[in-house]
Amino acid sequence: MKRILSSVTDGKGFDIGLVLLPLAFLFVLSGLPLVYNVVMSFQEVDMFSLGSFVRPFVGFKNYVDLFSQPETAPILLNTALFVTASIAGQFIIGFGLALFFWMNFPGASWLRGLFLVSWVMPGLVVGAIWNWILSGDFGVLNFFLREMGVIAGNIFWRSDPNYSLWAVIIANIWLGTSFNMILLSVGLSAIPRDLYEAAELDGATALQRFFTITLPMMRSTIGAIIALGLIFTLQQFDLFAGITSGGPNNSSNVTQYWAWDLSFRQYDFAKGATISAIMIVFVMLASVVYVRSTRHEVRG
Amino acid sequence: MDIRRRAMLGMIALASISLPAFSAQAEDVTITVWSLDRDIQPAPNLIKEFNKLNTGIKVEYRQIQFDDVVSEAMRAYSTGQAPDIIAVDNPEHALFSSRGAFLDLTDMVAKSSVVKPENYFPGPLASVTWDGKLYGIPKATNTIALFYNKDMFKAKGLDPDKPPQSWDELVEAARKLTDPAANVYGLAFSAKANEEGTFQFLPWAQMAGGGYDNINAEGAVKALDIWKTIIDEKLASPDSLTRGQWDSTGTFNSGNAAMAISGPWELDRMIQEAKFDWGVALLPVPKIGSERSSAMGDFNWAVFSSTEHPEEAFKVLEFFVSQDDRMFKDFGQLPARSDIAIPPTGEPLKDAALQVFLEQLKYAKPRGPHPEWPKISKAIQDAIQAALTGQMSSKEALDQAAEKIKAVLG
Repeated sequence: MKRILSSVTDGKGFDIGLVLLPLAFLFVLSGLPLVYNVVMSFQEVDMFSLGSFVRPFVGFKNYVDLFSQPETAPILLNTALFVTASIAGQFIIGFGLALFFWMNFPGASWLRGLFLVSWVMPGLVVGAIWNWILSGDFGVLNFFLREMGVIAGNIFWRSDPNYSLWAVIIANIWLGTSFNMILLSVGLSAIPRDLYEAAELDGATALQRFFTITLPMMRSTIGAIIALGLIFTLQQFDLFAGITSGGPNNSSNVTQYWAWDLSFRQYDFAKGATISAIMIVFVMLASVVYVRSTRHEVRG
Repeated sequence: MDIRRRAMLGMIALASISLPAFSAQAEDVTITVWSLDRDIQPAPNLIKEFNKLNTGIKVEYRQIQFDDVVSEAMRAYSTGQAPDIIAVDNPEHALFSSRGAFLDLTDMVAKSSVVKPENYFPGPLASVTWDGKLYGIPKATNTIALFYNKDMFKAKGLDPDKPPQSWDELVEAARKLTDPAANVYGLAFSAKANEEGTFQFLPWAQMAGGGYDNINAEGAVKALDIWKTIIDEKLASPDSLTRGQWDSTGTFNSGNAAMAISGPWELDRMIQEAKFDWGVALLPVPKIGSERSSAMGDFNWAVFSSTEHPEEAFKVLEFFVSQDDRMFKDFGQLPARSDIAIPPTGEPLKDAALQVFLEQLKYAKPRGPHPEWPKISKAIQDAIQAALTGQMSSKEALDQAAEKIKAVLG
């Protein structure tokens, strides 16, 4: 008895307790809803059976129905395009900015801080502002492009199915770039300066230093950022609600917005849950990448 | 010990019998009302007045947001926390009445001296009716008509007293009024992929012989073709596809569109913002003399079937109905009734517009009623957008919508 007690206050029991507490917390607040969501995707759910747990079990019917809908394939493709283009844009611009501010000119840290403003802004506000910027007739972006001579006529960013998804991607890149920049800046500042000094003495060019020192040293940071980016882009909802509402004709619809639309606009909760269940798989994959790339930080 | 315990038990027994009896005398019956009305709108004000009458019924009010009405009501009903009275948007009404969530008011209405079904416009009344029974009372109503800029009509050689009557005249007028150099579109309307798109398109289909259960009728295809012409020739902004009615009409007010299709909720803002002479006309019909039709908007009152005080809840509704004649004057809303003459407001443009809207209301048809309206509506929105973006022909798009709607209607 005394041994158990002492192990709890000072020993293995204490460690187990420390692990169990957050685990229980995670299970209740994340695990249960996830399981509930998956269960719901196998049931027939409507608004009046929403309050009860016992509902007719329909097997894979929701999944079969979902994939037989004509809009499913385009929406999945849109999601893939949205995620890839957003992450690529955010990462490349973010990395460029991080390297720029890393040069440490006067006022660099101030400016870097200011960039974070975009990250602090609520998504719906960002959506509303980009809605104006991208508006067809009187949009700021069209005016700018026209004055620069890039385009002759107005581009209807939100209403032309060829541009609508890109309209949201542009806004999302703007929103996520600063977050990428900050994390990459942290990664950059962790690289020991003497490595560069040694390389410079040996005559390595700036490009060689970037590819042989910076990139390899940043590998885990980059992995973590891309995994986080994947998660953040997959949950990006506000911009769609603010700019295109998934339209026109689903040309800018993505799974996360579609799941909401099915559940809370058409009250088809089972289908909404089915889409979310499919998304869980992708987010899990991203989480594995994230955990793997940050693992050595814990060991170190 | 024994005696004391027995005495205690007796006391408790007595108390438990007499307490509810006392409280019933001392306290009023409480009725809870949920609606989306803000402090300047009818519900909270009427409730304040009702509570002052001391009828033995105390009404508590809770305001809910437009987007949350259905989900909040659903959650409350399925967990047994539903209010006694709620205001729901008319196309959602059937969803609740078909499931027995709303109380059948037919008998109470039959006995009532205040609520008389024959006083209501047929459209709003149909939206509260399910299976021949009344499951609610129309709270207010609205519809859409054609606003037009009389100054621009004059400038382009059109007669400001002869707004377009038919679809062809509308397109013709829009062509004349469109002036890209001056940033003016001929028409502003909404084909947005939400309920607003359906709200705007369905009247066009209905006056041409279509309807939600016959959406690929020849006339409906023609209607969508006309919409496509308007978008393709840039007689309306391509952003009509992603813009709601409020924002579209905003471009009319600022002089960037010569005509606009919208409802009476625009009137107050238009009087303040529009710096030109404008008028309102009935929605153009396919050919002069064709059947008229219009959309029907706004909310209905309903009593939840879980209420413990149906009689008292109905009394509260009767009070609301008895105040219908002040709705336009005090709150700017149109009562859903044909027996009430709305007094002039003293603002000539508003009064003239009101007459047109009252005329248009006679032709307003409800969306549905059908318990799965959101799915039907979504099929129509998808068809509009697919056709207007050129991804399908109007016929193909509406055929596909008809197919989806057939699956819902069963």
